[in-house]
Amino acid sequence: MPTTLRIALLAGLLALLSNIAVIGFIYWRTHDEAVSEMRQQIVEQDKVLTDVFRSGGELALTDAVHDTIAYADPLAVVALLGADGREQIGNVEGLSQAHLTEGSRTTFIRLRGQPTPRRATVIIHHLRSGQWLLSGRIAGEGLAIKQTLEGSLIIALALATMLGLACGAVLARYVGIRIGNIVAVASRISRHDLSGRVPLSGSGDAFDRLSQQINAMLDRIGGLMDELRMLTDSLAHDLRSPVSRLRSAAHAAAETTDPKEQEELLGSVIRQSDALMRILTAVLEISRSEALTGRKQFSWFDLGELAAELSEMYEPVAEEAGATIIFDRPARAVPLNGHRQLLAQALSNLIENAVRYGASGGEIRIDVANEADQVRIAVADRGPGIPAELRPAAVRRFGRLDSSRSNEGAGLGLALAKAIAHLHDGELVLDDNQPGLRTTLMLPLRPDDTKAARVA
Amino acid sequence: MGRKILVVEDDAETAAYLSKGLTQEGHSVEQAVNGQDGLFRATDGSFDLIILDRMLPALDGLSVLKALRAARIETPVLILSALASVGDRIEGLEHGSDDYLVKPFSFAELLARVNALLRRREARIDPADHRLTVGDLEIDPLSRTVKRDGRKLDLKPREYLLLEYFARNEGRVVTRTMLLEQVWDYHFDPGTNVIDVHVSRLRRKLDDGFEKPLLHTVRGAGYMLAA
Repeated sequence: MPTTLRIALLAGLLALLSNIAVIGFIYWRTHDEAVSEMRQQIVEQDKVLTDVFRSGGELALTDAVHDTIAYADPLAVVALLGADGREQIGNVEGLSQAHLTEGSRTTFIRLRGQPTPRRATVIIHHLRSGQWLLSGRIAGEGLAIKQTLEGSLIIALALATMLGLACGAVLARYVGIRIGNIVAVASRISRHDLSGRVPLSGSGDAFDRLSQQINAMLDRIGGLMDELRMLTDSLAHDLRSPVSRLRSAAHAAAETTDPKEQEELLGSVIRQSDALMRILTAVLEISRSEALTGRKQFSWFDLGELAAELSEMYEPVAEEAGATIIFDRPARAVPLNGHRQLLAQALSNLIENAVRYGASGGEIRIDVANEADQVRIAVADRGPGIPAELRPAAVRRFGRLDSSRSNEGAGLGLALAKAIAHLHDGELVLDDNQPGLRTTLMLPLRPDDTKAARVA
Repeated sequence: MGRKILVVEDDAETAAYLSKGLTQEGHSVEQAVNGQDGLFRATDGSFDLIILDRMLPALDGLSVLKALRAARIETPVLILSALASVGDRIEGLEHGSDDYLVKPFSFAELLARVNALLRRREARIDPADHRLTVGDLEIDPLSRTVKRDGRKLDLKPREYLLLEYFARNEGRVVTRTMLLEQVWDYHFDPGTNVIDVHVSRLRRKLDDGFEKPLLHTVRGAGYMLAA
């Protein structure tokens, strides 16, 4: 059974049930004993008259009819008619022959001496003698209304059932159309087409909200796919040069006959493969950090100590490049709950970057600052810096600014530092050191972290 | 001085490469091709070193390691793994391995680490004579003083640690990554020649003015301190 049909039936059924409840309530409040009591009186009166006819024949019946007219209450209706339909005795006037069929019915009857016909319930018998016996009662005013009401309630119930089903059908069609839009987009996705979007009705209803969520999700997935495609493209592109260098070195090593040259070329082959492995490891490390794995290896450590260690480690490297590293270790510890090894890598990438591109400026300054809700490590050089419009590109994977392939860096250092900042819910900020570049890792202290730090 | 080494590695090519190389170095090598077999063989405790692949059929390397350590078998374990990220390395070390080497590796790197681990096992600190000597070089780890030919050398703290590590591995090749991991305790690859710069500084203080150099560069592998 299709879902829409099921919805239609369910809606119809619910409408019917609620209508039955309402109609039942009205019936219960208006129905009283009077109606059924009157029916009982009619049946009894009819039974008495037919019994009289059965035991006493026509004569006895004639007497009984007379008695009924004389002694029964003024609302009683009784008449004995000939086979031709003409009234022989009774209190009814202007009765048409069309009424004369066996059974009980509710009809309009005028009593003798009354100006207008009134609603009455009567039972009609065709007697063995060929005569017709008509016996019943005029309904009182209240009773007549109640009887009408009961009839109306039954009609209302039938109407409600039909309307309920119709409403259900309309509802099902509406839901079907709205869901159909979503299904259409979903099936496009499964056919590898991410460009479809669910149309909005503009009413802001639940379907619109669902559609908006689906559209936002598709935008995000599309963005990620683009990013992934770009990364794959650039990975494939950026690996081409080292791989081709590797290949030509290997080729030359295979060709040469000079053992000394061959040894040198093989050494180059190994260096090139190592460089490739480094690129792949860095890419892996970036995606790991972005996926937030590694948080279970967080521990408390002093960021000031880490910065001191790395300053010392890179000091001779900077010196060889003609720069000095200046680091004033904060007097007090800067506790941070983080991944010590990865933060060491991030910071070393920033320092290496400064040494590689900013050593000409002479001094490289490293700062660690402990603020209320975050800690900051900044590495600032006095080199040429990066113009503001190029900074986003510098942080992207493989986003190296100079296209010269002779330069050693693979363009992953800042991207990795950014990913590691992201692992710590922080960010990497590049700004102008006037002159030079300042790269800052901003690492927020989580609320529970600051609490723990205070206790510790 | 051959030693008993257990190689637990499911990749036949790598296992053969390791066995051949280590046998040529004079060690006797046993092989296991899955984790269960490796654990079974290792539990008799007769090996001097276990080289353990991390991803193994039947029982993975880290579980083997955990089971061994739980059984109080303290044989040094060198983990080999294609899992190269810093987090993976830390995880391996946290599980009680003594060293972690990422694939692909050069045999020189592996051998240097194997020798360092074997050496660590045999080296028992002699309390009577705690000093380290290499030729005319004399190191006192307690006072952290270094003398060469009786003359005191003025070393920075990190230079001292570097030299002490070299001295503890006297006559053995020490690679750059080993220095980074053991002397600095960093498990990432810095990419630049930062280690070389430190070693050459140390070398200047150590060998300048002396006829016979002690700190040697071993091409394609690393460095070695030897008289």
